[in-house]
Amino acid sequence: MIASGTELATECLTLRGIGKRFPGVRAVDNVSLDFYPGQIHALMGENGAGKSTLMKIITGIYQPDSGEMRFRGKRLAPRSYRESLAMGIDIVHQEIQVVPDASVAENIMLDKLAVVSSGGRVNWRRLYEQASVFMREVGLHLPPSTVVRQLSAAHKQLIQIARALAARATVILLDEPTSSLSLNEADNLFALLDNLKKCGVTLIYVSHKIEEVYRIADTISVMRDGKLIGTRRSTELERRDLVRMMIGRDLREQRIGPTAVNEGKVVLKVETLTKTRKCRAISFELHEGEILGFYGLVGAGRTEFARVLIGEDRADSGSVYVDGEKAAIHRISDALFRYKIGYVTENRKEEGLFLGESVLTNLTLLVWKKMRHPVTRYISRKNEEVAAGKMVSALSVRTRSLADLAANLSGGNQQKISIGRWLLADCDILIIDEPTVGVDVGAKEQIHQLIWNLACIERKAIILISSEMAEIIRLSSRILLFADQQIIGEVSRLDDKSYTKVRDEIGNLLSAIH
Amino acid sequence: MQKTEVPPKPAETVPEFSKASRQFRGGRALGLLFGTIVLFGAIALVSDTFLKPYTMFIIARQIAFSILIALSQAVCLVVGGMNLSVGAIGSMATVILGLCFQEVKLNAWLAVTITLLFGVVSGAINGLIITRLRINSFIVTLSLMFVYMGLRSGISGGSPYTIPEDFGFIGQSAIFGVSWVFVLVCLILLATGYMFSHTIFGRHMLATGGNENAARLCGIATDSVVFRAHVISGFLAALAAILWASMIGSCAPETGDSWLIGSFAVSIIGGTGLNGGVISIAGIFLGGAIFVLINYGLIEIKANPYFANSFLGALILLAIVLDRVREIVGESKRKT
Repeated sequence: MIASGTELATECLTLRGIGKRFPGVRAVDNVSLDFYPGQIHALMGENGAGKSTLMKIITGIYQPDSGEMRFRGKRLAPRSYRESLAMGIDIVHQEIQVVPDASVAENIMLDKLAVVSSGGRVNWRRLYEQASVFMREVGLHLPPSTVVRQLSAAHKQLIQIARALAARATVILLDEPTSSLSLNEADNLFALLDNLKKCGVTLIYVSHKIEEVYRIADTISVMRDGKLIGTRRSTELERRDLVRMMIGRDLREQRIGPTAVNEGKVVLKVETLTKTRKCRAISFELHEGEILGFYGLVGAGRTEFARVLIGEDRADSGSVYVDGEKAAIHRISDALFRYKIGYVTENRKEEGLFLGESVLTNLTLLVWKKMRHPVTRYISRKNEEVAAGKMVSALSVRTRSLADLAANLSGGNQQKISIGRWLLADCDILIIDEPTVGVDVGAKEQIHQLIWNLACIERKAIILISSEMAEIIRLSSRILLFADQQIIGEVSRLDDKSYTKVRDEIGNLLSAIH
Repeated sequence: MQKTEVPPKPAETVPEFSKASRQFRGGRALGLLFGTIVLFGAIALVSDTFLKPYTMFIIARQIAFSILIALSQAVCLVVGGMNLSVGAIGSMATVILGLCFQEVKLNAWLAVTITLLFGVVSGAINGLIITRLRINSFIVTLSLMFVYMGLRSGISGGSPYTIPEDFGFIGQSAIFGVSWVFVLVCLILLATGYMFSHTIFGRHMLATGGNENAARLCGIATDSVVFRAHVISGFLAALAAILWASMIGSCAPETGDSWLIGSFAVSIIGGTGLNGGVISIAGIFLGGAIFVLINYGLIEIKANPYFANSFLGALILLAIVLDRVREIVGESKRKT
């Protein structure tokens, strides 16, 4: 069971001047925070604000470069997740991490199998008994022997929390725990968290969702660009101020510049494109020179739609017209080579770049067909170097040489290459998915400028997918709002509106559905 | 509304495709070259017969075989898979060649064509199952390895087939003292090198092995690339079997039994990445040379042949460990 409340009342977890650098980015910058027992402390901020890194530092997955952490009066410097767990600090990750083919009980007691075994033999009855104590506590009413694979995301989430309780964790970090839960399931989770709080557990809650944070958190801390912007009691913090703290009041709050949309030329028209569990009756038009923003929460279906559009997933129904003609896109090569639609992925490391290949190859990959000799099929390295070299200097990519491996570049430069590849391929329509995740401020500015230039000077049509409101308002000519795999609203004529007006319009549209 | 001017593009120099950054892979080939020279020198010192033209002829031919078999493996490794049935395809191809000659009495051209066709078909079967049903290449090729091994034993009964005497020409004769097999394999190796550096198909193979998801998002038909890699692999294995039969003057059903470990050894020593996306033609050549020289050296110093596999295994491990150490050192240098 959980330690009693009185024992914990005076103890807390404190961070002082924590800093962590990654190549090119100050991921966490001089952060000091106090966490109290029996409280839910929400940590908010946009993508790349440094929340996840901070969580990983507390749980020993990363080691800080500077600063000190204290836990129960003692210095806390875990060198691994195991060490932090042994001290009673556990994390429930956003990606559900369970052993799918084991029972619920085994998943909860995984690191305690030795306790319920005798002579190396697992005592199943005792295992089930002990596990069911924690299962009751989190409200999991299932036989402990149930195999996890068949359970829902909500159940798996509860198993992870039960596991934290079984580890006698007194500090539990939750990283976007509701991202894969339904509303009802989320309600149950909040009730459980409330209970844990009353038992004196320290809960650190990372979330993007303003609603739920106000609902359960006692304290709210906001991070931005690795820095702590402020900590307030949730009852004393206006919603508007919270948004301001998250987004910031710097230059980014201005529009980058007017766009010049050619309303008369529809380059892409999508009609009721539908695919089960990916997108529902998506319809819109995209014009020449337009930057069309897709805004929504993570999982709203924007990326899923993009993948259906480019032929990575086959649509169930609906049609697509490119330059007025009906397009048959069955695979990605159709989208790319026939209709000149490019897609810059949000996961540049997993599915964007060839990290073990040179900058050169990463850039020229799509244009080899154009470069090769018609008879000998020889791709001249010289031609490649000319093309790649131009792109590298146009995007001011910092690399020592074109032969450098993509893995050796910083996040911002990697992203530039990831985009540059599609620029070389001369796509007319470019879908850019989360272009500045994990990119430092300077590179971010350059990438924004690049996207704007593409639309306004090179007259491309761009679909910009971003979860960062400031980014989407800064760049878009028009914004489509996504939720539950469909378009739920539109904010148009951004060129004629102020930043705050657009932000309020988005806020109104979003609050209408939540 | 805020008007933003387009900032002037910073005048930066265009980076060159400098040779310095190729150090990692280039350095590896140099190390292998050094190893080959040391081994060559050491054996030459110990042995009286080593530097004789006939020994050189034999050694070159052995090297050619090990390169050919390694290539058959490497094309699969490059796309991120493997082919455990390399040797079994070789054995089965030998039996088919023997049947064509001894039982059906076909002429050499037809027999060779049918055998190569078998190689292509067996590779196509591997590739189809792997790409259509999304089954791991390890399991697919392991199962088919046993299928082919059983078939060749069952069909042949274990005894060799006789082949026409003049079929030994390519395996046994030389041009200017150099084995025809060696010349042929060197040409194949050069063509492969050209393919990987300068043709779309070769570079699509590298891309697919390097990051299959990214490759697919770039419009590369990754399934087709993997399929074709396996077809090439089967073709090369069958070709090796034909050359082998020509060399020994008969079709011995156990021909491919020792190929599997050798194919991995030479590929890995030669720097072919086990996770795909990396291949070095010079590496495979030198890897083949080292492989053959070590085997020869062990015989020369009259080492107990029963231990041969231990040396081989240790050598593969050493190659992998050395690469890993270089990587770790490289990473720590990058951080500072």
